Amino acid sequence: MEQTLAQTLEIRDLHVRVEGKEILKGVTLTVRPGETHALMGPNGSGKSTLSYTLMGHPKYEIVGGEVLLNGESLLALSPDERARRGLFLAMQYPVSVPGVTLYTFLRAAASAMRGYGEAARRSGDQRLHAHLIPAREFRQEVNAEIGKLKMDQAFLNRYLNEGFSGGEKKRAEILQMALLKPRIAILDETDSGLDIDALRIVSEGVNRLQAELGMGLLVITHYQRLLNYIRPEHVHIFYNGRVVHSAGPELVEKLEAQGYDWVQAEFGV
Amino acid sequence: MSKPANQHVNGNGLNGNGGAAKAEMLTLEANTAAVEALSDYYAEPAWMRAARRDAWAHYERMDWPHTKEEAWRRLPLARYPLENRQIAVAPNPLQALRSLPACWLSPLAPQPQVSGIVVHQNGAVAYQDIEAQAAKQGIVVMDLHAALHTHGDLIRRYWMQGTITRPDFNKFTALNAALWHGGTFVYVPEGARALRPLQAMVGYDDQGSTGLHHTLVVVEKGARLTLIQDRRSLEFLPELNSEMVEIYAEEGAWVRYVSLQHWGEQRHSVSVQNARVARDAHLLWVNVALGGQMTKDFLRTDLLAPGAHGVMQGLTFAAKEQVMDQSTYQLHQAPDTYSDLLFRNVLRDQAKTVFYGMIRVEPGAQGTQGYQANNNLLLGKARAHAIPGLEIAANDVRCSHGATVSRLDEEQLFYLQARGIARYDAEQLLVQGFLRPIIERVPLACMRDGLDEEIAQRFRESPAQTQ
Repeated sequence: MEQTLAQTLEIRDLHVRVEGKEILKGVTLTVRPGETHALMGPNGSGKSTLSYTLMGHPKYEIVGGEVLLNGESLLALSPDERARRGLFLAMQYPVSVPGVTLYTFLRAAASAMRGYGEAARRSGDQRLHAHLIPAREFRQEVNAEIGKLKMDQAFLNRYLNEGFSGGEKKRAEILQMALLKPRIAILDETDSGLDIDALRIVSEGVNRLQAELGMGLLVITHYQRLLNYIRPEHVHIFYNGRVVHSAGPELVEKLEAQGYDWVQAEFGV
Repeated sequence: MSKPANQHVNGNGLNGNGGAAKAEMLTLEANTAAVEALSDYYAEPAWMRAARRDAWAHYERMDWPHTKEEAWRRLPLARYPLENRQIAVAPNPLQALRSLPACWLSPLAPQPQVSGIVVHQNGAVAYQDIEAQAAKQGIVVMDLHAALHTHGDLIRRYWMQGTITRPDFNKFTALNAALWHGGTFVYVPEGARALRPLQAMVGYDDQGSTGLHHTLVVVEKGARLTLIQDRRSLEFLPELNSEMVEIYAEEGAWVRYVSLQHWGEQRHSVSVQNARVARDAHLLWVNVALGGQMTKDFLRTDLLAPGAHGVMQGLTFAAKEQVMDQSTYQLHQAPDTYSDLLFRNVLRDQAKTVFYGMIRVEPGAQGTQGYQANNNLLLGKARAHAIPGLEIAANDVRCSHGATVSRLDEEQLFYLQARGIARYDAEQLLVQGFLRPIIERVPLACMRDGLDEEIAQRFRESPAQTQ
């Protein structure tokens, strides 16, 4: 049992309410290491609610079901605890954080993920940078990754997501993924706001990281465009708060050709 | 400190500046006799003695400010130790900077990074030094008492010529004008420019010593100056501080004034600070307020002639029972002048801040741009009052003002937490980020890092804000 659960994300009959209204109505889905799942659905079907709920956004109220990673329930954990267990959400709308540079943020995040903060707390080291990866070591690592994503180093001195273009934001998300090395990554509408060049760079980054880290991927998208670059083995149709149909990659073509109308006819309430 | 001694003049400059400071200690009650005693003690020129007497007359005539006056309405002035006024001058000349108490020495920028320094301890100069390159140009950073003997005419020309740095502005300025002791004098002659910032420290660690420091900064035509002045104290009983700062930026001058305030927990302070900016001169004023039990600061920039440019940036972190009250004023007296003010306050525990901001555009000051923003970040049960104002008597101007009071942003916190950063650390990052735009205006990496560390520390003294 332990073996099969290792690095596996299991969502079982998940029900979620937002401001009193039930949005997720029994989601069940399993993502294993190395697998790529696409979750496709029309606007308003609850896709983003699912991704934010998995990451632990406080706005979403769980009314039933279970989410497990490595066989451990995530539901009682804070977002940072979930992240430290290997869950990553590349957000559709990354928020800007004025005053905090991308470099400061990346260093804080990577240090937290690698246990530097805990180590400093335990040893009682009060120095300002005690909870951080040594600057020189981290700078080298960041520079290597930033080059692979064809980003300019000047980026690192800009405030996090502040004034970033759509493409820059998404690249910065993938940069974070590269440094934080998750086990399960959720990409929430990562293709929105990307031109074709940026889409290619971002997808290549994701594919490379999946090959390196063996992570499981859950790609949430409205369109098939991204799936030309990140090839899923499993495709799920998400409709009215749950997965209504699962199949192989051929389902992408069908949705592209026929749209979502037949879904409503077949699975609508 | 690694700089060879022969690069500096007046390694311990107390003997080379007119011999004004005497070795014996002076202790006085604040009264009319003190005026004469101070003038005698420092062997002052007659005009200064007359100025002190005149100020004392104002002091005796004036009442303490009343909470019915708008500027004082939100400050618990009744809790100021107004009757506890002692004047103690305890000369303590140091042989070397490193013999300063560690709590004052460590926050100073290392000597190789500055071109000159003056340190005051308990109302008397304790150390001063200036790099030869700066001294050769006539640049001075020194004890104001001694400067009365070396630069008396210049000081007399500028003495208390500001709109608010004048004896009759209020009873506190009258007190300072009559009984000031301890003073920072900075003078940059026409066209001169030090390679590095000048640094001043005003410290008190004695009991029963009212702070009555006076700072006078004169930057002549086309000259450039960065001055960093820090304030620190250690006291166990409530103490009073009444301070004045006068800055004169003459035509085409460029002045950066970094004012740091780290008063001890029992200091009750009123400061009146006024920068006067002439034609085409630039002022950048960074005001960092972290200490004191209660503080009231009047911070005013007067833009006197076309092309005058004044930027004011302020950072306040108020904690526990602190009350920090600031009145800022941007006066546009002439056409084509520019001012921009950004003051950011972080408050936690039961602290209280007050911000009164005013932009005043005089008739005829066309083509003026004046901007003002005050942002307050609340942690805990603190209260922030923001009262921005505009008075515009010209019609071709671009002015704006705005104030916000907010808490930490949940979406930003979620984003940081989603990357593995624990909530408390995420809160700290946001607090530091909020103050970052002001810290970035501070010169010297060691000063910026020091401030960052202080802010982190002040934050970490508090419990997690939200959960």
